[in-house]
Amino acid sequence: MKKLFPFLLLAFVFSLAGTSFSGCSKSKSGASAGNAGTASLENEPEVTFKDLQGNNVQLASFKGKVVLLNFWATWCEPCRTEIPWMIEFQQKYASKGFTMLGVAMDDDGKSVVDPFIHKTQFDVNGHPTTMDYPIVLGTDDIASKLGGLIGLPTSVVISRDGKIVKRYIGLVNHETIDKEIQSLL
Amino acid sequence: LIRAMRSRFVFALCAVFLILAAASLVFVKNSPASPQDGLPNASAVVKPRAYVSLDPVPRGGQFQVAVVVDIARGFHMNSHKPSDVYLIPTTLTPQLPAGIQLVETIYPEGRSEKFLFSPDKPLNVYTGSVTLRMRLSADANVALGATSLPVTLRYQACNDAACLPPVRVPVQVSLHIAASGAKSHLVHPEVFSTSPANK
Repeated sequence: MKKLFPFLLLAFVFSLAGTSFSGCSKSKSGASAGNAGTASLENEPEVTFKDLQGNNVQLASFKGKVVLLNFWATWCEPCRTEIPWMIEFQQKYASKGFTMLGVAMDDDGKSVVDPFIHKTQFDVNGHPTTMDYPIVLGTDDIASKLGGLIGLPTSVVISRDGKIVKRYIGLVNHETIDKEIQSLL
Repeated sequence: LIRAMRSRFVFALCAVFLILAAASLVFVKNSPASPQDGLPNASAVVKPRAYVSLDPVPRGGQFQVAVVVDIARGFHMNSHKPSDVYLIPTTLTPQLPAGIQLVETIYPEGRSEKFLFSPDKPLNVYTGSVTLRMRLSADANVALGATSLPVTLRYQACNDAACLPPVRVPVQVSLHIAASGAKSHLVHPEVFSTSPANK
C-alpha cells in the first residue's frame, strides 16, 4: 500500500487537473459561443451614433435603461440568428426600462441597412416581424470606444447607470442573454 | 489474502484515475475553439498563393493565373455566388498592366453547407482549399520582360458562431513576357490540370 501511495497521489492530481481544465473549457463554450468578457471594459463610454435619418444618438441618452447594444451587419448570418431574439427582448422588456440598440457595421451604411431592416422579415415566435427596435450606424471608432470589435455579432450589455457589464463575442445563447437582461431590470 | 485484495483494489483505483485524467486531457485538446479564443484577424484567415500557367508568356498568346486559397480550419467564406443577396461574394480583381487583357475569371462552385447558426438554411461557401482562376491574353505589343500583375482577393469569412469583416487581400503575380513564338513551358500542372478552368 505504501509503495502504491505516490502512484495513487500522482494519478489523483492528474485526474483533478484534467477535469478542472475541461471544466474551464466547458464553461467558455457552453454558452453556445456566447462568450462573456468583462476584462478591459471602458465604463460609461461617451459615444455618439448616427441614426438612419442622420440624427445624432448619444449612448448617454439611454441612461436609466438597461441597453443591449448589438453590433451586426446585413452580411452576417449568425447576426440574423440573433435578430429574432433581439426583437423579442425589445417586445418583452421595453416597458420595464430596457432597450435594444442595433449598431449596423455595414461599410455601405444606410443604403444597404435601410432596405434590410424594412424588408427582411424575421420569425419571432411564429410571427413575421421586421427589426422594430432602434438601429444606428456604427464605425470602427465607435466600436473601439466600446471595447473593440473582432467579429460579428458582438453584444454589449449596459446597466441602467450606463456601465458596460458584459460583452459577448459571437452568437449569443438566447437564455443566457435573457437571464442577463432580467438580472439588470 | 486481504492484503493482496487491497493491493489489487488500489491498483484498479489508480488505473481508473489515470484513464479519467487521460480522457479529460484528450477532451480539452479536442474541444472546439470558442469564437473569442479563435477569432483571428480577417486577413489572416486565408493564405492565397498565385501561379502562372506559362513560363515565359509569349506575346499574342493566352495564359492563366490561378490563385489557390487555403482557408483556415473551422472557417468558411462565401462562394462567388452566395445563397443570399446580402452576403458578400468572394471575388478576384486584377489590376491589368498595359497590354494584358482579362478574358474571364473562373470561380469554382461553392459547397452547400449548414452551420450551427444556420441549421435549416444551407449556405453556399468555400472551405478548405479552393482555386480561383483567370484566363488572360497578352497583346502582340505588350512590354517584354518581367511584369507584375497585382490581384485583389476580396472575401468575407465566418466560423460556426461569428463573422469577420470583409477584407481585400493583395496577391502579387509575377510573370515574364517573351517574344511571340518564343519557347514556353506549361508550369504548375498540379494546379492547372485539376481546376475547372482546364476542363
